[in-house]
Amino acid sequence: MEKMMQKLSDNILDKLSMDFLRNQVLKNAYGNDDTFIAKLDPRVLLVWYLFFALVPWFVDRLPFLLGAFLLVAVTTVMARVAGLVLLLFVVGVFSQTGYLFVVSLLFGGNAETIVPLLILTLKVATVSLASVTVFSGLDPDRLSNGLMWFGCPERLSFSISYAYRMLPMLMEEFQNVLLSYRLRGNAPDSSGFTGKVRYLIYQIRVIIHAFYPLMLNTAKRSRTTVEALEIKGYRNAAVSPEVKKLKLASLKVGYDDMLFVAVSFLWMALTILATTIL
Amino acid sequence: MNVIEIRDLTYTYPGASRPTLDHLNLNVEKGDFLAIIGNNGCGKSTLCKTMNGLIPHFIAGEFQGSVLVDQQDTKTMDVGRIAGKVGYVYQDFENQIVRPTVLDDASYACMNYAMQDYLERGREALRQCGLEGREQEYIWQLSGGQTHLLALAGAVSLEPDVLILDEPIAQLDPKHADLIYGVLKNLNETWGKTIIVIEHHTEYIADYCHHVALLKDGHTEWVLPSDEALRRVEELQECNIFPPQVTIAAHQMKKEGMLAEDTVLPTTIEAGKKVFDRLLYRGEICTEWEAPGEKQKETESVVSFRKVSVSYRAVKGEAKQIFRNLNLEIKKGEKIALIGSNGAGKSTLMKLMTGLIKPSEGEILLKGKGIRDTKPEALSKMISLVYQNPEEMFIKDSIERDIAFAMEARNTENWQERTKALLEQFRLTELKDRDGRLLSGGQMRRASLAIGIALNPEILLLDEPTANLDIATRKEIMRTLNEMKDITETVLIATHDMQLVCEWAERIIVLCQGEVIADGSRNEIFGNRRVLELTGIRPPEIFDMGKVLNPGAFCYTIQEFRQQFGCGCL
Repeated sequence: MEKMMQKLSDNILDKLSMDFLRNQVLKNAYGNDDTFIAKLDPRVLLVWYLFFALVPWFVDRLPFLLGAFLLVAVTTVMARVAGLVLLLFVVGVFSQTGYLFVVSLLFGGNAETIVPLLILTLKVATVSLASVTVFSGLDPDRLSNGLMWFGCPERLSFSISYAYRMLPMLMEEFQNVLLSYRLRGNAPDSSGFTGKVRYLIYQIRVIIHAFYPLMLNTAKRSRTTVEALEIKGYRNAAVSPEVKKLKLASLKVGYDDMLFVAVSFLWMALTILATTIL
Repeated sequence: MNVIEIRDLTYTYPGASRPTLDHLNLNVEKGDFLAIIGNNGCGKSTLCKTMNGLIPHFIAGEFQGSVLVDQQDTKTMDVGRIAGKVGYVYQDFENQIVRPTVLDDASYACMNYAMQDYLERGREALRQCGLEGREQEYIWQLSGGQTHLLALAGAVSLEPDVLILDEPIAQLDPKHADLIYGVLKNLNETWGKTIIVIEHHTEYIADYCHHVALLKDGHTEWVLPSDEALRRVEELQECNIFPPQVTIAAHQMKKEGMLAEDTVLPTTIEAGKKVFDRLLYRGEICTEWEAPGEKQKETESVVSFRKVSVSYRAVKGEAKQIFRNLNLEIKKGEKIALIGSNGAGKSTLMKLMTGLIKPSEGEILLKGKGIRDTKPEALSKMISLVYQNPEEMFIKDSIERDIAFAMEARNTENWQERTKALLEQFRLTELKDRDGRLLSGGQMRRASLAIGIALNPEILLLDEPTANLDIATRKEIMRTLNEMKDITETVLIATHDMQLVCEWAERIIVLCQGEVIADGSRNEIFGNRRVLELTGIRPPEIFDMGKVLNPGAFCYTIQEFRQQFGCGCL
């Protein structure tokens, strides 16, 4: 038993390592660029998303919500979303409403208390999964192009794709700075409960301390990047409508997009039909 | 025709008290392949930034005189127009890449300047830079050399007449360095580009560049054809520039009267063959010379790898295996160099020893004890790792506090005195209140070494201690490493720097794709053709020179060359 706990906590600690996080971020952004979802036109997906992000809030009928949930669940699977994001989703939904559901069951709640909670949970879950599909299934560049088409400022869309470019680098840097602290610092003994608490506090303190060198190192690196952007005409592009047109020329609505919209539409029509019959 | 003309240029950075460039004149002819050399801080990078218009358009400061690019004054052009004429590749080129995929980055500038055929131009640039077929790859899939080529392609895509590269090969292994220079040569010869490089590696200047410009105190000392420039041995050494080893060797022998007074100093191995041809080889007769690796050693094993396997998570697809069933013994007191191309697993091997990475199979013993269940903190008293990138070792706001940090945390006895002693030993006392990040390359390196040995570890691991340094600073670090030999018992250095390997190491371990393919003294490694071909490592130039003259010769330093060939003429 002792050994198993040890193994389990090792396993969890391993999952929490910076290396793992970095890998998940990259996987999430670019690891699934060959899926059906990733190949769709970002504009179509954004409109699709708008529907599933808004409509569930205004509908209270169970069949409709269940149908919508099933659909976005399928698209999430199709988008091959990274494990960490899904875990965050589950934790998020549970902390929002799921725990109420469990608590009400424990305190002798019946179907009457459960149904409203179920509806709320379904709403939150549907909206979250739709977001996960769109923002995680699309690679950041296509997403930012889509946003730009809808009139979002160029700077926002550049920031999105640049953040994804920088994030892995930042995390690697952060990981190394943390390792410096670990190797040279003196962690308190972590045996026993108080030891564990003290160890945790130590870890948190190290993470906070590590931000100072991280920021300075990043600032040093970004000097070159800023100059390079200037040479590469980034400032020119931000104000030129011609460049915008050039960028958006790559967006095309194809056969797959029609299919995707048609299937989604058909499915939702069926659920609405079911809702009216039931 | 001059493609760049600089007339009486004086430039002072904002806030600086002295001008960085001082009444500088320079003409660059169209189609030239020019190397700019000079001391650290003599204004090489600043000069290049005036040529691409970043100075004065982006970086302010006091600017007098004129810079003409293609007969036009840069002051009257905007940065975009100049970028179409002069391309620039930074020394820290990876920060110059702003897009996630290869083709995207190569065509990014063209798109920003609203060129309709931007993708086509990007593809063409990639083709010219030898990256054809990698268009859709993500930038983190590229090796260091390929990343550099991509940065170059980003500049080439705008079809400039002039390309400027700031120390293109400082971070690369010799194979990649050759690749870069091959591409530059092709751009110069086939596509008629004018190439300007800031370069410390004089061997490459001798092989590739047509002209050399020496900068000194912010002005141009002279511009000469490469051969002629590199023969000015004493003048160059005064400026902390080291001519090719063959040139230095011939220069010294000429002074000692072993070569005729009228000998023209060779700058390449090819030329050296003619000059040294008449020398007699007496390698075997020399008894005073003995390889350091053959000394008797203690046999106690401090680190052992037992059937170790390690794999990394990959962004896509299966985990990547770094080591499979690795076995390795490191004995007490050994001075080991770990070599192999980029990505062979050198850094991973070091991280395994410090406990930062756990093997998926097998075990690692430190002084006979398994380290699987030991925290890295507990190991750090015994083993210490100095990163390749010194910035990541600076976690406090002054190097004094950085050096003291580990000792303070452990309440080491007399840590104040020891910090003082370390500062003194590494010549950092005057800099002790400065933030490590703001020091020069050599100072940063010294500070990181001081941090590494603060806890007096029995085993010291150094990851590329001489990477990214100019040759003068490299010599300084090499001296420091030699001084440290007596302080730390067992030292392991991962490096591409073969001069360091030859002058310092007693045992050499060659890694190739996660396997130890050779392990032994320098004669065993560099005498083995198969190993050299398999890994692309290259011995110092003087070693090759010796081999050309006599296949049985093993000379790793200029001194050894002179001893083995210097006794007289036929």
